[in-house]
Amino acid sequence: MSLPDWIGIFSLPFMQRAIIGGVLFGILGGLLGSFLILRRLSLFGETVGHAAILGVVLAALWQLPATWALIGFTVCFGLGVVYLIERTNLGSDTILCIALSGSVAVGTIGLTFLRGYRGNLLSILFGDILAIGNTDLILLLLLLVITLIGLLLSLPDQILLTLNTDLAKVQGVPVQGYRYLFIILLSIAIALAIRAVGILLVNSFLVIPAATARLVFGQFIPFLIASTGIGIVSAVTGMIVSGIFDLPSGPSIVLIQLLGFLGSAVWKSIS
Amino acid sequence: MNSSLSPDAQPVVSVQNLTVVRGNSVAVDSVSFRIFPGTHTAIIGPNGAGKSTLIQTILGLIPASSGEIIVLGRNGRRLGKLASAVGYIPQSFPFDRHFPLTVSELVSLATGKLGFWGIGKSVRQKRQAVQQALKQVNLQDRGKQRIGTLSGGELKRVLLAYCLVVPRRLLVLDEALAGVDATGEADFAELLGKLKQRHGWTILEVSHNLPLVSRYCDRVLCLNQQLLYQGSPKDTLTPENLLQIYGSRVNPYCYHHEPTRLDRYF
Repeated sequence: MSLPDWIGIFSLPFMQRAIIGGVLFGILGGLLGSFLILRRLSLFGETVGHAAILGVVLAALWQLPATWALIGFTVCFGLGVVYLIERTNLGSDTILCIALSGSVAVGTIGLTFLRGYRGNLLSILFGDILAIGNTDLILLLLLLVITLIGLLLSLPDQILLTLNTDLAKVQGVPVQGYRYLFIILLSIAIALAIRAVGILLVNSFLVIPAATARLVFGQFIPFLIASTGIGIVSAVTGMIVSGIFDLPSGPSIVLIQLLGFLGSAVWKSIS
Repeated sequence: MNSSLSPDAQPVVSVQNLTVVRGNSVAVDSVSFRIFPGTHTAIIGPNGAGKSTLIQTILGLIPASSGEIIVLGRNGRRLGKLASAVGYIPQSFPFDRHFPLTVSELVSLATGKLGFWGIGKSVRQKRQAVQQALKQVNLQDRGKQRIGTLSGGELKRVLLAYCLVVPRRLLVLDEALAGVDATGEADFAELLGKLKQRHGWTILEVSHNLPLVSRYCDRVLCLNQQLLYQGSPKDTLTPENLLQIYGSRVNPYCYHHEPTRLDRYF
């Protein structure tokens, strides 16, 4: 492909939206993912991501606007799961496993009631970052601004409650409020990212860049910056790779993230 | 510097008829006491006596079933901004050993939301305060070390540095030195005593180390669900009282503040 062809591709509005979306997802995923993995909530992200299939089905059944319905569903689902974890004496992994299996089962059954919808199943499962619209970008930008303000302004409190809840409570940190705020931000991010990378891969946006950064960095601020940077670079590189080799965009981004993670793991073990 | 034991002084902690029920059992039963500014009070008692429950209830981590807790003149569960005046070193400090956080970063968390970003105080002033705190606990050269690589005793000293960065009025230690060797425990107790004098802290701690309690504390609360005795170490740590508290003979190995009284116990 010649240079003018490349310039031509990147001047297309859908490609520009995809690049901007990738960068915004990268920042958001890196920020939220850093706290997600340190709070051992990786399985929570996976559960909410997979449960979104039920949200998609409900939105289609009741003919609701897909993006808003998905946001509403993931937030309610996420808060519901946290409520169950806090109110039962079962382990969180047990509750998450039940919620994941249950929602996927009900969602899959629901799909059978949707005639003509099965053709879209592949895009629900794997997403298409090239299909991102202006509304998605605005919502994404809004969520990123809220996340940046919310997390960074309260960063010492967020680190303390991630490190030790009791100490944070004694120091007057509103632990419960921050926890629920984080779950809400996380659920909305997952709802928005599903269009780009799909239900199956959405959690990788949150987990892999942060996990890669954690392998390398022992200080918090460099870890947070690296996690965000890896998220941005892998999203843009993944899209370029997908364009060069004509591969699906979502899996290409995840593949780049995976290669980065493996590279860091090998480098860390050697050094 | 501040050792105001005057009866007119406002108590730092006031507990009135406190009862805490956990599950089906009463962990703390109708306990009342007051802690005055500048004092060092130890809560002693056998395992399961309700010592940690009492401390955690005072700190608002466990709800009280009945009774009243006043900390720094306010309801213990609604300290608001006064929460930063309370330092806490817990019995165990479970955390991910690979958590990406250095000693300096942990200590700097105490500077609060604004201080952490250098607002109000410059970043340089914040760094100086953190370095100063680490120096006071003899860890000035460990600032860049990841917290997961510290030993148990070093971690407790880092938590003490965390308490030093901002002014504290009350320091609460819940068996802070559990798992630390005897030398480390004695060193920490000595360091704590010096810092208490320097910063005018009021200290409330749970301890099993009776020699250190008798050496460094002004007051002892002997707890076994109920408050059995309270008073000075000399008056409370008697063989008869200890027999009743622990149910068997316990050698208090008391130093006391007056070494001449040692022979009374041996």
